Amino acid sequence: MASVTAAEAAAAEWEEAARKVLVARKPCFGLPTACPTCLPVYVYLRMAQVPFDIDVDTSFPDADHIPYVEFGDCVAFNNEKGGVIEYLKEDKILNLNSKHPSASSPDVLSTKAMVSTWLADALQYELWVVSDGSIAHDIYFSDLSWPIGKILHWKKARDVKQLLGITKLNAAEREEEIYQRASAAYDALSLRLGDQTYLFDNSPTDVDALFLGHALFVLNALPDTSVLRGTLQKHDNLVNFAEHHKAQLLESSSSGLGSSSDPSMSSNPRKKASAGRSYKPKPRAKKERTEEEKTFRRRAKYFLATQLVAVLVFLSLLGGVDSSELEDDDGIDYED
Amino acid sequence: MASAADPAADQNPRDAEPRKPTNEVEAEAEVAEEYEEDDYEEEDEEDEQPDGPAASAAEREKIRAVFQRLSSEQVGIRVHDVVIKGNSKTRDELIEAEVLDLLRAAPTIQDLLRAASVATARLRQLDVFDAVKITLDAGPPELPGTTNVVIEVVEAANPVTGTAGVYSKPEARSWSLEGSLKFKNLFGYGDIWDASGAYGWDQTTEVGVGVSLPRFKSIPTPLMARASLSSQDWLKFSSYKERLLGLSFGLLSTVNHDLSYNLTWRMLTDPSRAASKSIRRQLGHNLLSALKYTYKIDERDSYLRPTKGYAFQSSSQVGGLWDSKGLKFFRQEFDVRGAVPLGFFNSALNVGLGAGVILPLARGFMNSSSPVPDRFYLGGHSSPVCSLSGLSSLLGFRTRGVGPTEPRRLVPSESDGDSSATPGRDYLGGDLAVSAFADLSFDLPLKLFRDAGIHGHAFLTAGNLVKLSEGEYKKFSFPEFRSTFRSTAGVGIILPTKLFRVEVNYCYILKQAEHDSGKTGIQFSFSSPM
Repeated sequence: MASVTAAEAAAAEWEEAARKVLVARKPCFGLPTACPTCLPVYVYLRMAQVPFDIDVDTSFPDADHIPYVEFGDCVAFNNEKGGVIEYLKEDKILNLNSKHPSASSPDVLSTKAMVSTWLADALQYELWVVSDGSIAHDIYFSDLSWPIGKILHWKKARDVKQLLGITKLNAAEREEEIYQRASAAYDALSLRLGDQTYLFDNSPTDVDALFLGHALFVLNALPDTSVLRGTLQKHDNLVNFAEHHKAQLLESSSSGLGSSSDPSMSSNPRKKASAGRSYKPKPRAKKERTEEEKTFRRRAKYFLATQLVAVLVFLSLLGGVDSSELEDDDGIDYED
Repeated sequence: MASAADPAADQNPRDAEPRKPTNEVEAEAEVAEEYEEDDYEEEDEEDEQPDGPAASAAEREKIRAVFQRLSSEQVGIRVHDVVIKGNSKTRDELIEAEVLDLLRAAPTIQDLLRAASVATARLRQLDVFDAVKITLDAGPPELPGTTNVVIEVVEAANPVTGTAGVYSKPEARSWSLEGSLKFKNLFGYGDIWDASGAYGWDQTTEVGVGVSLPRFKSIPTPLMARASLSSQDWLKFSSYKERLLGLSFGLLSTVNHDLSYNLTWRMLTDPSRAASKSIRRQLGHNLLSALKYTYKIDERDSYLRPTKGYAFQSSSQVGGLWDSKGLKFFRQEFDVRGAVPLGFFNSALNVGLGAGVILPLARGFMNSSSPVPDRFYLGGHSSPVCSLSGLSSLLGFRTRGVGPTEPRRLVPSESDGDSSATPGRDYLGGDLAVSAFADLSFDLPLKLFRDAGIHGHAFLTAGNLVKLSEGEYKKFSFPEFRSTFRSTAGVGIILPTKLFRVEVNYCYILKQAEHDSGKTGIQFSFSSPM
């Protein structure tokens, strides 16, 4: 009964799902989705050669569950289990790293941490604090009606500032720190990459997806005046890395999204049919318990209702008689 | 309303009594100034009290004569003047505007009495007076057959009133705590300012401030503006929570017509993260800018237990009047009711038919989706007989318990023992809905019941709804729609009380579809009479 773990059940669901859908923010700046959080997921799925469709969500810019991937009746939300990529990895659905020789190496982990903190912070800073807001508006708020878009934009910018710990007093200091870290991260990544096609051992990992998402956004969406973009452009190999993969993953794909790759290629061949649906018993056991509770509750409810009705009958039978008193002051006086 | 005047007059013969006789007596003593006349009148009244038995017998005789005359023929009368007293803060114009035309138009005493009762009701409806009293006084002596109408009002002693209470909403099976604070007549225009709050345990929360004006300058209709922040929890039924921040304006409100405008920031969220795909796609922010027009006739003799008459309501709503990005849809609802008395056991047959349709208005509109909260839902236990927006009730089914559904998100988990592990279904509502009912109400044999208004009924309800948007209209076929109607039959007892109407029904589900939540059995339903 408990032989099938939740992860395996999810993986089976993934295998069975005829259509996988990535729901992300809208495309802009020549990117399939122009959101720095959605882009890595897109890249990850492309790298794993999973056929999928992309749906655009325009009405919920402040939701943290976007991007999400739908497969069958299951959904991998961005705000669960550490993000979509982590969700897919954890549930052994789609793990680029699993085949990887150095997947468990501390290098991969520390690089990932660096990309998802220092670089992500720098990007947030550029997008929400430094820029005039037009980029963010195009990506997130352009499909919302006037006051709503404005209010949400203002709120988000304020939240980012708070998150990055920027106040009026330390703004310059923080800026310097953020750019310094970003620069250091780029240096390290550039060194790491060298002239390889991927960051680690010439095969894709989730770090590649994360960084690629970041780099593509910086190079395509941010304006020429951007400091972050300037810093990244100093590293030719990083720029080439981004351009190379963009050509491979985004441009080639646009023609044959969802059909190009063979489903059997999805990196984690899982025993599918055997897994069956046996992950359901657990909920049923729970149901049984609540069934009793339900009858009890229903009885309690009926009891209460009958009590109430009894009181009402009592009141209306005994209190109904004197209702005429109330009419009293409605009367009309006629005097003269 | 009109009928209320006569019994009232009958009940209070003392008040109505000295009409004719004193008209002659007082004619000599009439003074030009009205206030003096009033003083005189009061004295007169006091004098009359301690009369001897002979005098009172004569008095009674006179009254009878007056009533005789009033009941046998129309007595012509002309309103000479309307005097308003007791309004220290309230403007005369307001009261005059409310009732003057009505009173002046009455050609006979009978009409005037009726008009006076309507006027009293109207002034009471303003909700700014503690008491309203209309007295018909004799006109000036040189003008026989005329009358002065004296309107005495008592303004609310305390302009601030507050209410608080705990209410139950059995349909949603929850309780709510509600309170409101009203400032009446702040500027003397009959303006009512109110601040209200309602908190329901995981159901609804609402805070709002509003102002209503019974009339503004020469515009004869009540105006209303209201800002509110509310949240409505539909997690149990449709896996979403609705938060509304809105402004609404009542632009026109008469007996038959009602026009309102609504500007609302609507946010749908799903904290449970269990929503089905269709609901998930609708989550987010939206601006609803809609104009709604309602036309209503209600000629039934009672709201609680209609036995005669008919009612009709049509409401149309157009959304998307702000910019190109807001919610755009057109929503139309019809509701027809009729009641026919059958002549035995005070029984009556009520029938009703409701239909509604919502169409998204956008490019390729038939392929886009309509907003979930604006769709039609059937089910719920509220009585279809009372409310005139009865499209939604289908006895025997849970609220929102009928129609298109979609499985919720599946969370394949073992360790995670939360409720989302058992995916239910989300009720999505329909774009086209039709419902109908027939209800036979009859008196119960016991006199005790009859006196308390407790009566029985037998009913038959049916309804169906389908999705048309997102291209589903192509699959729509009328025969199929007809054959998938859900229906219930049942009998029950109705206890009308002053506060609300209680029904205890036994419902038998005649027909339901796979995922509907109809249940055969006893049900309690509580509905407020309005």
